[in-house]
Amino acid sequence: MEWTQVDVLTTSEAVEAIANILTEQGASGIQIDDSQDIQNYQKADETVVIDWDEIKYQQTGAKVIGYFPQDVFVTEALPVIENKIKQLAEFGLAYAPGTVKVKALADDHWATAWKKYYRPVRLTRHLTIVPAWDDYQKVQTQEQLIVLDPGMAFGTGTHPTTRLMIEALTIIVRGSETMLDVGTGSGVLSIAAKHLGVKQITATDIDQVAVDKAKENLALNPIAQDVTVKVSDLLADVEQTNVDLIVANILAEVIVPLIPQAWAKLRPGGHFLTSGIIADKLDLIIEQQTKQGFIVDQQLKIGDWCGLIAHKPAVNESNQFTAQG
Amino acid sequence: MAKKVVTVVKLQIPAAKATPAPPVGPALGQAGINIMGFAKEFNARTADQAGMIIPVVISVYEDRSFDFITKTPPAAVLLKKAAGVEKGSGEPNTKKVATVTKAQVKEIAETKMQDLNAASVEAAMRMVEGTARSMGFVVED
Repeated sequence: MEWTQVDVLTTSEAVEAIANILTEQGASGIQIDDSQDIQNYQKADETVVIDWDEIKYQQTGAKVIGYFPQDVFVTEALPVIENKIKQLAEFGLAYAPGTVKVKALADDHWATAWKKYYRPVRLTRHLTIVPAWDDYQKVQTQEQLIVLDPGMAFGTGTHPTTRLMIEALTIIVRGSETMLDVGTGSGVLSIAAKHLGVKQITATDIDQVAVDKAKENLALNPIAQDVTVKVSDLLADVEQTNVDLIVANILAEVIVPLIPQAWAKLRPGGHFLTSGIIADKLDLIIEQQTKQGFIVDQQLKIGDWCGLIAHKPAVNESNQFTAQG
Repeated sequence: MAKKVVTVVKLQIPAAKATPAPPVGPALGQAGINIMGFAKEFNARTADQAGMIIPVVISVYEDRSFDFITKTPPAAVLLKKAAGVEKGSGEPNTKKVATVTKAQVKEIAETKMQDLNAASVEAAMRMVEGTARSMGFVVED
């Protein structure tokens, strides 16, 4: 998609009003560079320092940037924006200079700028994530590589939620399982699962961009080339049932509606691994899974992020436990 | 060890809906942040405020790690909520679409005081009142 960027140079006082003008004219998001924001900067903690020589910021006044998607006719909106800015003086807001600059946003630079900071990461004893453009050499023979170009899909493999899920997979997978990967993003978990021994995987994502990206990444990893990827809202368009394993590294709000779907697709005794749960939503997800009938076996945590290992009880599971005494 | 801030980015984006699209992509990509990592974290932390526009200040450190603080909603959003309207006026000087009281303006100014670059509550009120009037709201005593 093409985007247009509209920059308005103004004062700190007029920032809120100008942000609203741009939003009401169709900007889908606003960036604010306000000189006073830096001067009044709230440090996260006392170990944080600002290097005033290095940090780039608006030296005086403020710049409000509106980003307009291509379905907004900025050429039509522009005179309205300029006129509304000029009117601000009538409403008691000093806005000068109020200069408006318009430019087309080249998307190649920002889309790839982060890549230079993306490096190989050894996630576990056996799994290392390697950017597709990196000429990484294995340090040990048992190391298995997950080659990724995440592009604009979720899942660089380095986020705590992905690490939690890979940890959960490492605990649960024994080999030869069937698996559904819900919200696959870059496909990272499917590739990891194949390395760990899962036999057959169907991966889904609601976003076509992610599905295309997952397919590209699977192609970069010979072991994962037989993974099926499809667009589906959670498991709505997935036909398989009686699967051994369902993994979902999404957000708590999306896990909630997935719980009954996962229950319907899993075989008795099958495992349901969830991640992407922020700590304050953990109780909710445990409650919902338990209410559905799942047994939550283990909680995993990195920082504020949590993952859960749960299973659907086997048909005579309670009897088995009784028998084992 | 001290963490050195190399960039501070302030955005206003819809709660729970951050994507790599602008403004997140251009603002954070240039700063070297993993865009998807930010989007995921922001969406998780703002899920309860879905439907609201949320200002967020992101600090990028020398090692390209980041953290962020979400702020009170923009003055315009709070004003629309107080007045019970969805949109400001297309012609704010001639066509008035809503009325808010000075007391409401003061309440919003006080709510936002910590996040506005205003030296006093009076200065914050002037910013909020000016924003209200620029949206075609009448501010009455």
